[in-house]
Amino acid sequence: MKKHYLAALLALVLSLAIAAAGCGGDDEESSGTTGGGTSSGPAQAASCTGSIAAMGPYTGDAASIGQEQLDFTKYAVEKFNEDNGTDFKLEEVDTQLDPAQASTGAQRVVSNDDILGVLGPAGSQEVDAVGPIFTRENLAFISPSATDTKLTESGKYPTFFRDVPNDAAQGPTDAEFIADTLGAKTVWVIDDQSSYSTGLAESTTTALEDAGVTVKRESISQKTTDFSALVSRVKDADVAFLPWQLGSQAQTFGNQLAEQGSDAVIVGSDGLFTEDFSIKDSYVSSFAPDIKGIESSQELVQGYEAEFGKFSSTFGPPAYAATNALLTAIKQACDDAGGSPAREDIVDAMTNVDIEQSILGGPLKFDENGDPEGAKFYIFKVLGKGKYELQS
Amino acid sequence: MNWDFLVQQVVSGLTLGSMYALIALGYTMVYGILKLLNFAHGEVYMMGAFAGLGVMTALGGPDAPIVPVALMVLVMFLAGMSASAVLAMGLERFAYRRLRNAPRIAPLITALGASFFLQSTALLLFGARRRSYDSAEFIDLRGGIHWGPLNASPTRLLTISTTVTLMVLLTLLVSRTRLGKAMRAVSFDREAAAMMGIDVDRVIVATFAIGGILAGAAGVMFGLVYFSVYHLMGFTAGLKGFTAAVVGGIGNIPGAMLGGLLIGLAESFSAAYVSSTFMDLIVFSILIVVMLARPTGLLGRADIKKV
Repeated sequence: MKKHYLAALLALVLSLAIAAAGCGGDDEESSGTTGGGTSSGPAQAASCTGSIAAMGPYTGDAASIGQEQLDFTKYAVEKFNEDNGTDFKLEEVDTQLDPAQASTGAQRVVSNDDILGVLGPAGSQEVDAVGPIFTRENLAFISPSATDTKLTESGKYPTFFRDVPNDAAQGPTDAEFIADTLGAKTVWVIDDQSSYSTGLAESTTTALEDAGVTVKRESISQKTTDFSALVSRVKDADVAFLPWQLGSQAQTFGNQLAEQGSDAVIVGSDGLFTEDFSIKDSYVSSFAPDIKGIESSQELVQGYEAEFGKFSSTFGPPAYAATNALLTAIKQACDDAGGSPAREDIVDAMTNVDIEQSILGGPLKFDENGDPEGAKFYIFKVLGKGKYELQS
Repeated sequence: MNWDFLVQQVVSGLTLGSMYALIALGYTMVYGILKLLNFAHGEVYMMGAFAGLGVMTALGGPDAPIVPVALMVLVMFLAGMSASAVLAMGLERFAYRRLRNAPRIAPLITALGASFFLQSTALLLFGARRRSYDSAEFIDLRGGIHWGPLNASPTRLLTISTTVTLMVLLTLLVSRTRLGKAMRAVSFDREAAAMMGIDVDRVIVATFAIGGILAGAAGVMFGLVYFSVYHLMGFTAGLKGFTAAVVGGIGNIPGAMLGGLLIGLAESFSAAYVSSTFMDLIVFSILIVVMLARPTGLLGRADIKKV
């Protein structure tokens, strides 16, 4: 009898342990050895070394976006090291677009003294989660895709930068396109209850109503799988504006719109600029141009595609530009300090960054809030999976 | 009175409700026989959906199937149903059998553990990205029936008709076959059934297998109608299926069917006539009201306890 008891207990503990390990696997999977980062050794005074951390959704629902950002970041680190004779390393921190995971990842990042700056996180809700941590540690972080206006305007995160315009510009740009170019009279604005989405929905609704368009509001959650009921209410509208983060949800929505025989056009924000969303003749906005059309960036495009393969969205290039800016600032601070810079020095250097011609085709400088100067949004028409046509 | 709109919601509700009903049947049958709430049933459903996806990919994928579409869909269903049945039987054999005579809390915790275990396994095997059945590629969703106010796409018609067929088959199985009689006997009184010569182990395995088959079918249907499958889809669906089983009367087979359809229709109507934001709120409020009014569920009967 006792033998059975013990065996059962052992089996229970083992299975719980395996389940816990399996669950543990859900949390950030940071590849990139912390050991590798510190192998630069104690003699940092001579040459400029150190690492940056990249945070983003490298697995999970938004992985198509995160992976492209990561690949461009890796490429940027490579090229910078090549061009400047430096030896900066990259640590990957997977957040799955989840603020809780981002927060845990941020703790790990700040406790690693080798990390001098952070590329990311990608989502606005994540920036809110890691902002206080990085602010406290004076660690500079630059996001290539978080567009919530309040992140810079509130002044809460003085070490935060971004190289993409914020939603204060995206809302009006999308609204103008919907009202003027598409000539829509009734628009449904549906948010997905994330902070990015509700903020953008608000600013777009205001701009649309100012233009005399009838706006109806609804919201769904990122866990919703069936939109049939909502679609049957939306189907007679001219346009459905979906500022969502998950392209796959919008794809289901679009398919169900078609299923019910609707002619409504879907206009999405930058979250839908991904292969997961491929409804023909819909539109998506983006905070970066398609760099394949920019002369000065062709060499970089070819170099990237030779190493990483083709890319289709506009999420990657801003990650490149942001990484480049960050490394430039780190090197600047390094040279000024004659060796190992302090994290605050890098924040200062970031505010002074002045890149003449970034991969995005123009100069890159930050204003006093951390927003890029002179950035705007672009609208693309979706022609198919990964195929886009610039509209403006 | 906008008839088109109303009928549309009925169709959506029945589609959704069919899937919930199939999942609820699995919960209710296992509870009827073992008094166990198999929380891992949602994951059995999820694995069925992935099995269907795997078979579809093996047959050329949604863009270029190498066999006729009808055959591919049939094979997907068979694959989903078998994978889920095998998984359900495996759960019974490895997670629940030894705990048959343990206090009820032990298999309950095991079921929860099995649920997490399967979710994590799916995460490791398939990644966390949502995979798509892309049914729009090989099925013309604008086709189907369009008679007056009634509009139903081919996938919804398939879902509803398959569910009706499966329910009819299940009812016949339970009421007309020896296995069905054995199942009813075991759920009534396990010891007495054993004494009458019924192989209780076999009946229990068969019950799990049948529940698995239904859940697997539901999984493939979900993929065809709503396109995206991912490792956590079993959690919400399992919760709603369990709710449906309880609303209909846990342990009662017609109750599970009724409960599932009711929950599906309630979801559809509340999303359409009230707001999608409040959809879950309304559905679970209905659950609370039903449970307060009839604690044993709509068709349930209180267990008669002999003293």
